[in-house]
Order: sequence, then C-alpha cells, then structure tokens
Amino acid sequence: MEGLLQLLFNGLSVGAVYALFALGYTLVFSVLGVINFAHGAIFTLGAYFTYFLIGGTVGANGLMAGQQLPFSLPFWLALPLAGVGAAAVALGLERIAFRPLRERGSDPLLALITSLGAGVILVNLIQLLVGAESYSIPVGTLEALPVAISIAGAKVRTVQVLLLAIAGLLLVALSIWIDGSRSGKALQAVSEDPVTAQLLGINSGRMIQIAFGISGFLAGVAGGLVGLSVSIAGPYFGIGYGLKGLGVLVLGGLGSVPGAVLGGLIIGLAEACVPADLSGYKDAVAFGFLFLMLLIRPQGLLGRPLAEKV
Amino acid sequence: MNRRFSASLVALLASGISLSGCTDTTAKGPVNLSKGVPVGAVLALTGNANVYGQDQKTGIELALKALNSAGGVNGQPIALSLEDSGSDEPSANAAFNLQINRGVLALIGPTLSQQAFSADPIAQRRGVPVVAPSNTAKGIPQIGHFISRVSAQSSVIAPLSIAQALKLNPGLRRAAVFYAQDDAYSTAETVIFQKALTDKGLKPVTVQRTQLNDQDFQNQITAALNQQPDLVVLSLQAVDGGNMIRQLRELGYKGPIVVGNGMNTPNIYPICQRYCDGILIAQAYSPELATPTNQRFLAAFAATQARNPTASRIPPQLTAQAYTAMQVIGEALQRLDRKHPLKTLPLAQARKALMDEILSGTYQTPLGEIRFTPEGEVIQKNFYVAKVRMNPDGKTGRFTLLP
Repeated sequence: MEGLLQLLFNGLSVGAVYALFALGYTLVFSVLGVINFAHGAIFTLGAYFTYFLIGGTVGANGLMAGQQLPFSLPFWLALPLAGVGAAAVALGLERIAFRPLRERGSDPLLALITSLGAGVILVNLIQLLVGAESYSIPVGTLEALPVAISIAGAKVRTVQVLLLAIAGLLLVALSIWIDGSRSGKALQAVSEDPVTAQLLGINSGRMIQIAFGISGFLAGVAGGLVGLSVSIAGPYFGIGYGLKGLGVLVLGGLGSVPGAVLGGLIIGLAEACVPADLSGYKDAVAFGFLFLMLLIRPQGLLGRPLAEKV
Repeated sequence: MNRRFSASLVALLASGISLSGCTDTTAKGPVNLSKGVPVGAVLALTGNANVYGQDQKTGIELALKALNSAGGVNGQPIALSLEDSGSDEPSANAAFNLQINRGVLALIGPTLSQQAFSADPIAQRRGVPVVAPSNTAKGIPQIGHFISRVSAQSSVIAPLSIAQALKLNPGLRRAAVFYAQDDAYSTAETVIFQKALTDKGLKPVTVQRTQLNDQDFQNQITAALNQQPDLVVLSLQAVDGGNMIRQLRELGYKGPIVVGNGMNTPNIYPICQRYCDGILIAQAYSPELATPTNQRFLAAFAATQARNPTASRIPPQLTAQAYTAMQVIGEALQRLDRKHPLKTLPLAQARKALMDEILSGTYQTPLGEIRFTPEGEVIQKNFYVAKVRMNPDGKTGRFTLLP
C-alpha cells in the first residue's frame, strides 16, 4: 500500500508538469490548428525569469555576465510575474511569427515552421545573454517548509507537492474559465470554427491572443516550478519537456483541455510504474504506451474523430 | 516544376556528397604558420557538459599564455583555435572536422568520453594527434595511434574513493549504485565502481539506471532507499549528478555519497548547493603538490579569479588536466621544431612526427611528472581522494584532500 502511494505521488507530481506543459500546446492548437514549437523556449524563459526575479545573478558567461536585477522578490511573487513575462513573450511571438501568416491565409504547416524558428532564436538569445551554464533556484527558497513530507509512509519532496498543488489549481481555474465565462465560451467557439465565430461577433484575433497569453503564462509558471524542483540546465532546458508535452497532447486528444490533463497524468504514472531496474527506459515505456493507445484510439483519449469531408 | 524540383534535389545531394566526402587537401601542403603554430581545442561550452568545458577553457588558456610568454615554439607563438562541441556527438564530429580542415597540428578534446568515441576516429583517420584532457572511459587511447589522454582512466582512480569511504565508515555494507545508461563515461565507470564494491565486500543492493538528460529522480531514489543502503555511489555527469544528490538528501538519505569523475568540478556547487557537502571523489590533481610547475599554475589560476571575490582560488582537476594537455602539445612542438623546423615539414608529416614526440616525452605538469605508454595512455604517479566542503553560504565550497 505504501509502495503504491509512493508510486502514485511520484507519477502525479511529474504528470502535473506534463499536463501544465501540454495545456499550453492545447490552447494554441485549439484556436489555430497548429502546434507552437516555441512553447518549450517559453517554458525555459519562465524558469530564467523566476531565477532572476528572486535575485539570481547571471553567471560568468554571456553578454550580461555578473548582472542581476536591482531588487529581489519572494518566490511566491516571482513565480506569477515570471508567468506574466512569459505570457508577454508568447504574445510577441503570436504577433511576429503567427499573425502575419494567418492574415495571408498561409498553410498551417508554415506557422509550425515559423514557431520552430522562433523557438530556436529564443533559445539562442538566452544563451547569448546569460550563457549556457546551469542555474539553480537556492534550496532555501522554501525555508519555512520542510524539504520533504511523509504521507502514509510515502516520502515526497515538498516542492513536488507544491508543484502538484499549483498545477492542479491552475488547471481547475482554467477549466472554470473556459466553461463558465463568456470569454471562455468565445474561445471554444473560435476553436470550433473561427469564421463562424467571427460572423457571430466574436473577435477571433483577440481570442487567439488570449490563448497565446494564457499558454505563455502556464508555460512560464511550469518553468519556474520545475526550476525550483531541479536545476535550470541551460537554455535547452525545455526541449525534453517539450517532447513529452507533445506526447501528452496527442495522447489526450489534439485540442482537448481535459485530455491534456488526463494525458499528462497518465504519462507521469506510466513512467512511475516502470520497474526500478528499467528506470533508464522510462521514456521508451511512456512513448511505447502512447503508441499502443493511439493504435487503439487514434484521436487520443478525449479527442473527437475527424469527420471526413466528402 | 517537378523537373526543376528534381534538378534542385540532385544539386543539393551532389553538394552534400561532395561536402561529406571532402578531403583535407591542405595536409599535403606545408604547415600554415602565418598566424602562429596552429593548435585546436574542441570543448563542450554549451549543453549539459558545459560545466566541464568552462573549466577546461580556463586551463588551456593559462597554459597557452605560459607557453607563449616563454617564447612559444622556439620563437613562434602558438595560435589556438577553440571550437564548441556542444555536449553531443554530432557537434563534436563537426568541430573536429572543422578544426582539421583549418590545418591544426594537434587537437585537445573532446570533453566527454561519449563524444570521443565518435569524434576521435575522425582524427585517427586523418592522422591528427589528439590529447584528451578529460576522457576517462576504457578504450579511448585504443581508438588508434593518434589518440592519447592525460586523464587517468576510471579503473585507476575510481576504486580509491570506495576505499576511502570504507576507511571513514568501516561498517558500510549495502550500496545503492546509480549511473546514466546512455553515457559512455558513466557506463564504463559504474562497472569499475561495482567491481570495487564487491572486491571490498560491499553488496550493491540496487543498481538504478538513469538517462543523461534526466533531472527528476524521485522514482529511482525512492526505489533505492527502500533497499536501505548505507552508501550511495554515483556515476553521473555534473548536472544530473548534482540534482541527484540534492534529491537524495531531500528525500532523507543521510549516509555517505561517493561520486565519480563526472562530478569533479566546482560547477556542481550551484546545483546541489549545501547538499554537496561531504561527498567523496577521487582526484588526479592535488593543489598541494609543491612542484614549480604547479606553483606557477596555482598563481596564474588565482590571478584569473581575482575579479570574482566569491570564486575559489583553487583550480579544479579539469582545469589542471586541460592545462597539462596544452603543455604536453606545446613542449612536444618545441622538441619537434628543434629536430625538424615546422616550416620545412608538410602538414601530414608534421602531425605524424608530433604524435611521436608527444608519446616519447616526459612532462613536469601540474599533475606531477607524467609520460605516456606507447598506446597513448597516461602514466601518472599520484592520485588522491577529496571530500567536498561547502561554505556556510551554501553556494561556494572546496575539494579538501583527505589523508
């Protein structure tokens, strides 16, 4: 029982990050029908923003070597601000890399490539400015809390519990907003059919911006939380999570918000279930599981099958 | 349209084939000494292994400065070209090819054993001497005649830290072993560690495999701690290893931790922070060595750190080894130039003669006196074990040598 609980905690805490990450992909996919490959770079930026907002110094490399902000904020304030910063960058990306193509009616594949390019530029910009070295949010950042807690015999790092709780809160807030507010319903309408939504008086462009903003915010917060849990391993920090997020997106069903959450938790739990002796193969097991699921249900767990137009 | 597309494709393929098959035409010509005696370094300055590359860059630059201020190669300065190899094999291969095509006489690098197994055969095929400053996996010099290393292999130094852990805690019996299964250094070193554990009567109660890019080890750690180990042995690189140590301590492991050469850098301090304190690690370098070369090296290193008040004045092993690699090439070049002036030799012949000089020399380096086996393996006399001691700020620390 204790082992099962441990496994559940391990899986859920990792799965929550995947879910948070995949939600960003999902929001943009639902309104534009393309995957934003720059999402991993926005996640990375969120981690760096958090580090600098709590008073971190730039290392020995990069153009900004040795510099730091003239103030330092507590983590609780820095994290949402990092999310806001990441959202601002995501909005900028929408303006530069997505909107011009959309306005010209270009193939969605082109937007996918521009997003990939934008992601590469962002990552290289981070490297140019702050170097490629690892950064860590100080371990004493959550000084008031114990480093780990025991729940019914299962031991969990406090930061993992926080990660799970914050991810859960954000997911609930997002679901309430989408289903219970006018703007949330407008977003759903745009994701259903942007042209019809426009005819019904919904500003599709505005809703796409909102989707990018929220997506960026979620990525930024996820980056900050993961940065608190492990070190920020350089500008390419987000790539691994980006790949896993893509898997989650497909598993849950393209464009499905509850699907992204379910997919994230399932992949996290699948990884946790990998026997200890095979732990180095957890990625292969997770993606193998994804492959099998898609053979059975190609539209993903909660996705709708694409209607074939004759 | 299709025809034009096909023509473009053919042109693209042809250019690709000609590029991939391009030969080093410069090797038949003379050594290009117009900007100095060309030597190349290929270091991991980006990616997960950048923490090592930064240390190595410092060492190479210090040795270069020392060599050139003492007259370089009999009056000609050594011109170093540095290329980033990232932390992966394709980038290391590309950097090796680039440097060789530039006409360098010898190469220092690459940083990781994993990269060396991929890039060194390129240098071997093209007859370019390589002095590896940090590859410790089994089989590196055996890649070929042109490949040598100044970094002692894991089988020589790794068992020392296990012996030291037992000396400090004679009651140790149960060891949990972790290694990155997708990394040549880690997989080679863990075999040595596991053999050393068994030889000393310790039982590896669990062997946990990770991947180089993993950062969250909660699954592996909780599984390992269920086996109640009283010793943890890690063969991981600096970033994943640093995260592993932090998470081990946060999840309640209080026993000793022995780590391998991958964590032999002060750049782990910002990652595991106060939890780095107490880890045991074997060393191929002692700052306490009282030779004139080491004293000069120490003074030069301290001068580079003067601008940063929190930086350690004690050079890490990787910096000392990189300094040594540059020194070995510099001194071998001086000897070769005295016998056969470099300007009279074709590049290919100069490279071959330089390799022979490298292997035949004896060097007074910061690591002590070293020389090479005919195969290119370093012969070094003294090794040490250090314990990491973190300062109260939790951000800085030092490797303290144990008696």
